[in-house]
Amino acid sequence: MYLARIEGTVVATAKHETLGGCRFLVAQRLEADGGAAAEPILVIDWLGAAKGSTVVVSTDGDIARAKFGNTTPARLTVVGIVDAVQTPANAEGKTA
Amino acid sequence: MRLGIVRGHVVLNPAIEAYGGKTLVVIEPVTMENLRAGNGRGGGKVLIAVDELGSAEGQMVAFTEGREAANPFWPGSVPVDAYCALIVDSVDVRQ
Repeated sequence: MYLARIEGTVVATAKHETLGGCRFLVAQRLEADGGAAAEPILVIDWLGAAKGSTVVVSTDGDIARAKFGNTTPARLTVVGIVDAVQTPANAEGKTA
Repeated sequence: MRLGIVRGHVVLNPAIEAYGGKTLVVIEPVTMENLRAGNGRGGGKVLIAVDELGSAEGQMVAFTEGREAANPFWPGSVPVDAYCALIVDSVDVRQ
């Protein structure tokens, strides 16, 4: 699992049959220094993450298989929207 | 999943039996910079994926990698590690 920031949305008509009705979001994985990865990822979200939200992304497809069936190619899912990240440098856990 | 642009198709002859009838596409992953610019460029390291959606050259797709890429062939056992899950109609990203 890792932190990522939601950067946008994707609309797709042609998709795997198990992915009907899914919400697809473009995200960027966050590094420890607050920087973002050069390559975007596409995540599936059913929690309602908005553009600019920091989320936790799981790379385990099991949750997607439980939701969309055994034949789904879905893998990256938003498993939570981040309220605060507490580190020694940010002890107050200011909102990410 | 990652986003990439279809650059071509791969034809195998011979190939392992499990690949019979499957379409393989060449995908160039897209960097965030190019995605924001919407310039049709990729910039990532090219890879091969199985495509069952009929994507054409120049189209942007999202592909799954890893074990999950073989899920569509469940309960069969096919050695696939990248799979086109959708064809992108439009992208809306923060500038």
